[in-house]
Amino acid sequence: MRSYLHIKGKGLWKFCAFITLAIILACCGEIITGVDQPATATVGAVVPITVHISIPTVGDGGPDNLIFGFLVPKGWKAAQNTLITYTSPTLGDGNMTLIPDGTVAKNGGGLTWPAYMKKTFQIGGNLIDDMEWVAYQSDKGFKHGGGNTISGDLHIKIKVGADGNNTLVKLGYVITDSGNGFTSDGNGTYYSSMITPCFEVTGGTGDLIDFCNPQLTTINPPKSLDNDIVTLTFDGTVVNTPLGNATETYLCATAYTSDGKTVSVCEQTDKTKMVQTGPNSKKYQITIWPKSFFNVSGTQTITKMEYFITNKAGTTKVGYGNTLAPFVYTFKCS
Amino acid sequence: MKKNNIFQQCGFLLIAIAAILMTSCKAEKSFPVKESVKDITGSWQVIRATRNGTDLTGIIDFTKFRVNFKDGAYTIENPLPFLVNADGKFALDDPEYPFKITFTAIGAAAPVSTPFNYPVVNGKRQLSITFSPGCPNNSYVYVLQKVN
Repeated sequence: MRSYLHIKGKGLWKFCAFITLAIILACCGEIITGVDQPATATVGAVVPITVHISIPTVGDGGPDNLIFGFLVPKGWKAAQNTLITYTSPTLGDGNMTLIPDGTVAKNGGGLTWPAYMKKTFQIGGNLIDDMEWVAYQSDKGFKHGGGNTISGDLHIKIKVGADGNNTLVKLGYVITDSGNGFTSDGNGTYYSSMITPCFEVTGGTGDLIDFCNPQLTTINPPKSLDNDIVTLTFDGTVVNTPLGNATETYLCATAYTSDGKTVSVCEQTDKTKMVQTGPNSKKYQITIWPKSFFNVSGTQTITKMEYFITNKAGTTKVGYGNTLAPFVYTFKCS
Repeated sequence: MKKNNIFQQCGFLLIAIAAILMTSCKAEKSFPVKESVKDITGSWQVIRATRNGTDLTGIIDFTKFRVNFKDGAYTIENPLPFLVNADGKFALDDPEYPFKITFTAIGAAAPVSTPFNYPVVNGKRQLSITFSPGCPNNSYVYVLQKVN
């Protein structure tokens, strides 16, 4: 037996819902309405990006400064390589300045603005945690109230790829104000964020750093030297590999030293065994101190490592892009 | 007459009590308590290690790594990434309130210093040392405890 709910005045319901939605949207808080950003750029180029913003206001308050966060790869050194200005018919024109180190964010639980941004928005869906939020504030404050809407544009000029690496990355943008932080209340939501599709930087001399796409292997920390402790992860879920049915996987690696020597460690022992991160996860990890793993002398420096992932017998191996070419990792800090 | 005697006796009693009270109190001389010198002499092992906040304790074998401090010198056994790679001398910036420890490895071009914490946890002294043995952006914290 089916029953039908008949609501009289359906049009009235729709109208009320629309009005409610309109009130919510038009109430308060900062909104990023769009980002104009090129899809690609070359290493060292100055890229113009425009972030369109709108700040509807209802409740009286302020003056507060506009806070802007920019999610970028650490290697770009954005704080030194970025200039941001704003234009606004209501607020006027001005500059966005770096928020001084150590400034505690409003409602951030004691965190600084970059730390508060990272805690709230993580690394914007990027897959390598070598990103940073760089926090800026407007040089002028603005008042809330009167139902006015403050609109404007943030004009970013950033020199991309300061580390010289080809890069695929999702850039992120967030705005709020210094009086509210990333909060919501009955008047609305006082922040807005936008993560853009993968942005590609080409023409570099360094390795490709792909923040966007899952990788068969990753190394953490992404930038390290041979005297760091590094964790290498093989993710067998990214694509079907010849090691799909392997119960154990091992690292088979060759180190290249600054004095022109090579050292290979390609054995299937406890030393090279990778540990599965969870039952049937098909993700395997090994953590090594490269200097010790390759047993190089104190005066030798490992500059590069080529490696494969193998099965227990060492007869099946997986390399870069699921081929028989080795993965390559360069030990460097930039 | 009898009444006067009672008053006299009460007066004597009051004076006697006042005298006893006055002489019973003595200004206490306070002596500043001297903070003990922080002696880190001994053999220390890593009980907890992190890299950029990630716990490494269970995934790298720290059990054999030792830092031995004695008479202003230190030695390292079964090396792992550390502030220094060779034996040498060490110094605390203040013997009573140390905030910094400086290692001068044999043959090193310059001494290296790092912030130094020396808390008592569960009745045992711990050393907490922060350093970057590789890239400057990679920060490691070793918490060491004296080997029994």
